[in-house]
Formats: sequence, C-alpha cells, structure tokens
Amino acid sequence: MSLLEVRHLVKHFPVRGGVLNRVVGHVHAVNDVSFDVRKGETLGIVGESGCGKSTLGKMLIRLIEPTSGTITYEGQDITALSHSQMMPLRRTMQIIFQDPYSSLNPRLTVRSLLKEAIAFHRIVARNEMDDYITELIRRVGLRADAADKFPHEFSGGQRQRIGIARALATKPEFIVADEPVSALDVSIQAQVLNLLMDLKDEFGLTLVFISHDLKVIQHFCDRVMVMYLGHAVETLPCLELDEQVRHPYSKALLGANPIDDPDQRRPLTILQGDVPSPFHMPAGCPFIGRCPDVIDRCRAEMPPIVEREPGHRVACWVANEDVAEPAAPAKSLG
Amino acid sequence: MRRLLKSRGARKFTRNRLAMAALGIIAVYFLTALWVLLGGISMEATRQRVAPKQVPGFLETRTLEERVAFAMHYIDEVDQAVRLASRRDQDAYEILADKALAERRAAKMSTDEYNELLDEAFAVLEDELEGVEDLSHHPELEPRVERLEEIAAALYPVPQGWEGVKYRLRTFLGSDAAGQSISVRAVYSVKVAFQIGLITSVISVIIGSLLGAAAAFFGGWIDHVITWIFSTLSSIPYLVLLSVLIVVFFGTIFDNPERPFLSLVPVYVAFCSTFWIGPCRVIRGETMKIKELEYVQAATAIGFSRLYILVRHVIPNTAHLMFINFSLLFIGAIKSEVILSFLGLGVKGQPSWGIMIRDAKDEVITYFFWQIGAATVLMFVLVLAFNILTDALQDAFDPRHVD
Amino acid sequence: MIQAGQPHSEPILSVRHLTTRFRTDLGLVTAVDDVSFDIHAGETVGIVGESGCGKTVTSKSIMRLLPERVSRIDPASKIMFRGMNLATASESRMRSVRGDQIAMIFQEPMTSLNPVFRIGWQIEEALKYHTDLNRAQRRQRSIEMLRLVEIPNPERRISEYPHQLSGGMRQRVMIAIALCCEPDILIADEPTTALDVTIQAQILNLMEGLKRKLNTAIMLITHNLGVVAQVCDRVLVMYAGRVIESGTVHDIFHRPQHPYTQALLESIPKRGRREHGKRLPTIPGIVPSLHHLPAGCRFAERCRFRQDQCVDHEPELLETSDGRAYRCFFPITQAPMAPTIGGSDVPA
Repeated sequence: MSLLEVRHLVKHFPVRGGVLNRVVGHVHAVNDVSFDVRKGETLGIVGESGCGKSTLGKMLIRLIEPTSGTITYEGQDITALSHSQMMPLRRTMQIIFQDPYSSLNPRLTVRSLLKEAIAFHRIVARNEMDDYITELIRRVGLRADAADKFPHEFSGGQRQRIGIARALATKPEFIVADEPVSALDVSIQAQVLNLLMDLKDEFGLTLVFISHDLKVIQHFCDRVMVMYLGHAVETLPCLELDEQVRHPYSKALLGANPIDDPDQRRPLTILQGDVPSPFHMPAGCPFIGRCPDVIDRCRAEMPPIVEREPGHRVACWVANEDVAEPAAPAKSLG
Repeated sequence: MRRLLKSRGARKFTRNRLAMAALGIIAVYFLTALWVLLGGISMEATRQRVAPKQVPGFLETRTLEERVAFAMHYIDEVDQAVRLASRRDQDAYEILADKALAERRAAKMSTDEYNELLDEAFAVLEDELEGVEDLSHHPELEPRVERLEEIAAALYPVPQGWEGVKYRLRTFLGSDAAGQSISVRAVYSVKVAFQIGLITSVISVIIGSLLGAAAAFFGGWIDHVITWIFSTLSSIPYLVLLSVLIVVFFGTIFDNPERPFLSLVPVYVAFCSTFWIGPCRVIRGETMKIKELEYVQAATAIGFSRLYILVRHVIPNTAHLMFINFSLLFIGAIKSEVILSFLGLGVKGQPSWGIMIRDAKDEVITYFFWQIGAATVLMFVLVLAFNILTDALQDAFDPRHVD
Repeated sequence: MIQAGQPHSEPILSVRHLTTRFRTDLGLVTAVDDVSFDIHAGETVGIVGESGCGKTVTSKSIMRLLPERVSRIDPASKIMFRGMNLATASESRMRSVRGDQIAMIFQEPMTSLNPVFRIGWQIEEALKYHTDLNRAQRRQRSIEMLRLVEIPNPERRISEYPHQLSGGMRQRVMIAIALCCEPDILIADEPTTALDVTIQAQILNLMEGLKRKLNTAIMLITHNLGVVAQVCDRVLVMYAGRVIESGTVHDIFHRPQHPYTQALLESIPKRGRREHGKRLPTIPGIVPSLHHLPAGCRFAERCRFRQDQCVDHEPELLETSDGRAYRCFFPITQAPMAPTIGGSDVPA
C-alpha cells in the first residue's frame, strides 16, 4: 500500500539576471518525476550534486513548493492544501537535515527546541512534557542531562541525534532524511545509521533516504531511485542493484565507487565529462553528454520510463531495447 | 543571553584587556550620567556664576595680571556692597549674604572691617600697581599681588572641608565667558551625551533590526519597500536631512529652551530617522543568510507560522550584530550632536559638548582652550572607549573574525 | 600484488618524532604527537583517520603551512627531505621547496584557485617562480600540463577564469599546478572529498596515471577507506594525534592489529545480500578531546578489548620485522578473547 504517491512532479527555479532583474531562464531542478513510497519501506534517492534529490525531498514535505505535479499523501493531494490545512500533516511528515551545525538553532537548548515542537502539536499533556522529552533524548542515545545543553556543547554525531529527536518529537509517520550521515565520520555514520534503522522498526516509520553515497543507500534502503539532472533514470530494489542494474548512469555510479578491499581493486568506471548544469538541459536524454553508449534516438527523444520487471523501472533507449513493447503505464509505481 | 555569555565569543571578549578597560571607562561615564540625571548636578548649577569670566583652569597657571583681576573681582564685589549699604543705611554683610560665587561666600564682618580691608586693597592697587605697564616685567611686585589676594581671601574666604572641595572642583577647569563653571558644564554634558546616544541608538537598532529582518525574511514587496526607503534616505546628504528635519520643528513646543527634555525631541527624531539604515542593512544581510539555514527549514517543517519563526529563530541569532551596531550608533549620535549643536540646531537650554565647543569658538582666538579642551577630551575618551569596545565585539562575535 | 614502495631504497621523505602543538583559547594542545614515517619514490602512502586525528596538521607541518602565531613544531621533530630538515629550515628555503619539490593539493577546489586570475596565469606563476623558462615556454608548458591532466581544449581553457570551470575541472587545474615543476612528493589533502563519486573516480584515475608517468610519491590524506583501498600502497592510521597503526594496504585491510583499525573497517556499510539492512558494527563513544587526553591508550575508552593496563599506560608504537607497526598492548592476532562484533551505540 502506498503512503505517498508522487506524479509528474516538476520544480523549475527562475534565474534572474541583467539590470532589470528579469527572469532570464529556469533551472530545471526536478523534471517530471513520479514514484510511490510504500508504507513502512525505505526509499533511497541517490545522485550527484545538482541532480535535484534534495529539492525533491523538500518538496515531499512542502518545504519547497512544486511548480507542477501532485504529491498524494494517504489519498490527499497535499500540493493543493493551504498553510492551515497543511498543519495537521506537518506533524506526520518530518525531515532530518545533513548539516548537524546549521540544522540546530544555536540559541535554543535541546529541551526548548523539542518543547516548542511538542507543545505546538499538543503531542503530550503539559505535565507529561518533561518525561516525554527525557524519553526522547534517551531513545536517540543521548544522556538525560543533554536536555539543558546548547547545541554547541555537542559533537557532530550527537547533534545529528538531536536533529533526529526533533524529527521524532511529533510522532511522525513519514520522514525525509536529507543526507543525514554525509557530514559525519565513518564510525559516527554507522552509529547514526543504526539508530535510524532501530527507530524505523520501533515507530513503524516510512523513510525517504537521500544520499550521494550509493554504498550507504544499498545497505540501508529497500529500494533505490537513481536521479540524474532532475530525472529519475532508474528505480529498483537495493538487493537486486548489483545484478539487475541497467541504466548506464546507475552502472557508472556503482563502478566509480572504490571497493573497500585492496584485493578487489579494479579499474574504476570512468564517465567522461562533468555533470551538465541543470540550466542548459540537453534535448533528448539528459545523460547523452556522458553516456558511453549513445544511439541516435537518445539525442532526439527523451526515453520513456519502462517497467522492465515489477519494481524495476528504467528510462533508457539502449537498456530497454530488449523489451519489445513499452509496458503500459502502471497504475501503481511501487 | 545565557548562551551569549557562555559562548566562545564572550570568553574571547572578556580576555581582551583593552576591551575590558574600555568597558570600565564607559561604566564610569555611565554612572556619571546616571548621577547627573538623579540630580547630582542641577540645571541651575550649570548656569551659576562661579568666577569672573574666562578664568583659566588649574588656577596656578595665571599671570600676575590675571591674579590681580581675579582678586579684584572679589574686592569689587565687596566694595559695591559697602557703597550700596551706606546709601541704604544697611549692614554690608546683609547685602553680601546671598552673593555667593559657587561655595565661596563673603566673610561675616562689620562694615568698618570691610572698609579697612578695602582701603588697604585700593592703597596697594593705586600706590604700587597703578600705571605699571606689564606686570610680568616686574617680578618684584609679586608680594604686593599676594597681599591683594590675601585681602580677597579674607573678604571672600575659600571654604574649608567638603564645601572647599566642591568649590575647588567647580573652579578646577576655570570659567567660561559668562563665569559659568567649565567643569560642571562638561560633566553635565555626559548626561546629555548618554541621553542622546542611548535613546537614538536603542530606537534606531530596534527599528533597523526589525525592518531589516522583516525585509529579508518575508521578501517580496515588503523587501522592495524597505530597501527603497533606505536607499532613498541614504542617498540624501546626511547633514542636510538632519537640518531639514530640525527646521521642521522650529516654532513648535519642541523648540523651547526652557524645556530642555522636549527640545531634544527633534534631535532624536532626526537621528533615529537616519541612523536605522545601518543596522537595517546589516541585519537584512544576516537574515538572508539565516533564513536559508536548516534550522529555519526544520521550524517550517514543524508547522510554525512565519512570524513565529522570524521572532523566535531568526532575530535572536542576529543579536551580536545588534550589539555592534548599537555601539557604532552611540558614537555616531554623540559626534553628530556636536555638529548639530555647533550649527545651533541641536541641544537647547542646557549645556552639551557641542554647545561648549560652539561657545568656545571665540575664546580659542585668545588662546583660551579650557572650554573646548574639556569638551573634546571628555568626548574623545568616551568615543575611543566605544570604538575599542566595538572592535572587540566585532572580533569576538562576528563570524568572519572567528577562526 | 602491488609492490609496497621500495622498502630497501633510501626514502625521499623521512619524518621522525613530528610533534606539532597549537595554542588555543583553552590552552596548549598537541595536535600531532610523535609521528614518524617514510615515503619512498613512486609510492602512495595513505594517512587515514577521523576528523581531528591530526592528519591534515601532519601534512601542513611538512609543508610548514601552519600559522606561526598559534602553532609550533617541536624542535626535536625531524622532517628530513634531500638531506635538509624541513622542520627547522628557513622560510626562504621552504619557499624553494614548496611547489617545486613538494607540492600540495587541497580539499576545496572552489577556494584553492584565485578567482581573479586566468587559469593559465596561475600555472605560469608557479613556473615563473621555480623555473628559468621564458614566457612562450611557460605558456607551452601550461598547455602541456592541462593536457596531462586531461582537460579538453587546453589552448582555450588556459584563458578562462576559475568560475568558468566545474569542481572536477578545478581540481584538475590544481593538480596541474602542483605537478608543473615535477615535484618529488605530492601531498593530496582530501583531494576528492568535495567531489561527486564519478568525478572522484576521474581524479583518482588521473592521479594514479600521473604517479606512474612521473614517479611522484603521493601522500594521500583521506577519511574515505574505499579511496585508500583503491590507490594506496602503504597506510598510516591516526587517532587523536597519534599514529596507531601502519603497514601495507593489504595488512591494514585484511590483518589489522589495532582494535580501532578493525572497528573502523567494520563500520563501513557493506554491499551484498548478506549484510543488507543489518545493524552496522559501531565504535561506541566519540574521539577524546585533545584538551583532555586520557593518561593511557587514547582509544581505551572506546575499545572493546580494553584491559586495566590500557587505561593506565599508553602503549609504545611497536614495530615488527615485516614492516608493520601498531600501538597496542593486545593486538588483534594476540587478543585475549575473540572479537565481538557490535557494541553499544550510546556515546559516553
């Protein structure tokens, strides 16, 4: 069952320039992305900087307003809701940020920053507040005396735990984790990943996990969606990633990541060129500039998303050549 | 606030010895201002005649001529009283009783005793000092001048004890053209300076910060309007704008030297209406930065209203800039007050450093530096202390300075 | 098997007892404490560790790039390079070494290039300082260098400004500048951390190729163990200012002796079905603050094999006959008990 259904989501940021500050063009941050998130699963979104993964994540909880498209959360199109209609949903949808330093207000103690969220949504009665906060802090692996400290008294990993506690404070069902471990050291990264894993099971959370690190996604998520230049180019279960991956970009991402074992050294997959700017979108497939096996059709037409197998969707002319008929657009994109 | 005091910046600040010294000096000034405000120096005290006109400070540095003139001031005072007494058939002391020059009052004696001393004084004056062209060429006459001074002191004794200390303090820096005490006026001006500095900088920082934060945070037309206002205001030469604003108040109740507090209102309005631009610009820039930070987005994700986020999460994080701006504007206000008062547009009905400097402009030609010196030295020390404080604040709290 | 340097030849850089201290608001801290290692021609030595372990300070000490006002290299330290001790060399001597014989590239390709000068000018500047080439030759060499680092259209790129290049391209330019005088050693401080993974692969490939072509020794500072496994010959693991283990990349990855090295390796997410979705083994707690270092082993507080001895005494760096070294009383192969995977998540 889908908790979240995203259809044809688009975000264009206007770019202003010149003396008169006119709109001179648009950055195509997210282009026609559709996917579902099932209740209780963890969907990983992977891609390089500027691929639109973070913009997409923030649109899911309406921190950024989409240009067009719909986001249906439990049957309700949240893109159409007003600020006050959105309010009850804000409780159930939360976000964890990347930067453990800029994501906490330096002037609030842990207690006051948790308290304002809890009081705002009336999660617990006033007299149970302190117990609830203590429990929350303990649950994310901090000592109870952390409540009355300020963010600058904590290390990066501990701050990330505070960020997680804030996201959990309102008892949400759905959390967008935007690069939650990218800024952390390896050993701390493992601690935070474990914590997220435990909390997910304990509270039955549904997660969208955004990362540039395919290794982390592969370990942590159920399914992965690979994004390139604002397009979702491939979606498949993480367990099948190594064997079933079809899109040349996903393959390159896998092959460019060094293996943590000197005995398994192999030449890294090298993609030519740089990620093009989302300001100048190429016609046809967005990947043509770097793709190792381009055919003429790629330059002319945007490849359609084809569901090769249930749960494995690829947008590539070459990879889908063996599939004769593009399958009819599926009702559920799960 | 608690965090501010515990922060690294605060530690860095308190370790800066120069800054702590500056803070100490400012505290002394502030306490002085408070003492004046609570009645330590009344307005009357600043107007009271304490000595003949333009008596230089530190008293000792006078030439023989000045010493004669100073002594003769007291002797003449008694002489006039004695003449008046004989005409009215009254006791001379009764006439002299209210005639005080600061704490220095006439000695209580009979008219005959006064006459005896006066006769001796005029004898000295007429027989020995009359006709002498330049006393400085006749050092042998000094004992006579001293005798004259003794007589003056006998007629008008310098009070003893606490009264004596007060007298010496009042005449310490001499007197201006009206015989008013320079030291009293200079110290009283500390209050005026703080009054203008505090009121204008607090109001300007509050207005500027709120407008700046609102402009950056809400963006859109609010930003356009606020930006337009401050860029327009800042394109008008600052002194012209101030002068025009003050001229607008001419002839209203705010233009009455008899009501010194009300007469400062035009100055406040003029300063506040231009001074808010500085903090507004800075806070607007800082807010632009803060509103993109993830904790602001996190607050949005919880569902808080924009206004709540602005007040609770954005504005408190600009506090260090408010402090720095406050300090900068304080200096600005004090310095601008001097310029306005010099032009006759500023303080009315009470002394201020600006008024003192204006009054001193004719004295300077005659090498009488005491009035302008007192005003500028006091102002210089205060401005210097504030400049050091501002630098130290910037060093300690400005993220660009933090390594 | 990759040859681990040339262990019997003379090292080109020999660091002995390097100790660097910093003056901070809270007192003196020893950021690098008694670090010794050698680098041989043509080998890649990796220095790994978590943030604050002293790996960057080590490299900047060698280049003498630390701010003199707040930092001091202990006079007993020796950084021997071509018969001279860089730790005590004069500033003018250092200027002729920097860029010419030892070059450095940094993490942030966005800020390491001066935005107001053209790319070509910035390469030529280094050549002008260190070589006798004339103007035309310098230009020729700059174009060659850009071609060497595989920048397309070097003739055109040379007159572009840094902001016209992407992050990966800028890092290539940085490498070109670093290598234009054919240095003996290239110090790369987190050269790929700020880059995307596909660009990282390009840069690693490029560095590997250049190393072979120019026989430059590379000192690679990184926290990314995958990068280490991919390109390094030998590895130094640092923790809280100390070298806690060193050896060949194979020894470090397959037969780690120090519990920290082992735990660090285990905490990387693994690929594959068997590991999918499992809890990761973690190291409990956090790195000790350099202001409050424990009396004993610096890792003792977080170590799963901790004994009383570890808390009271700090182990010496033990060098074994096969060229390895570790700083532990109870190395893994001689551990008193079998390693238990996992551990508490709760930081101390």
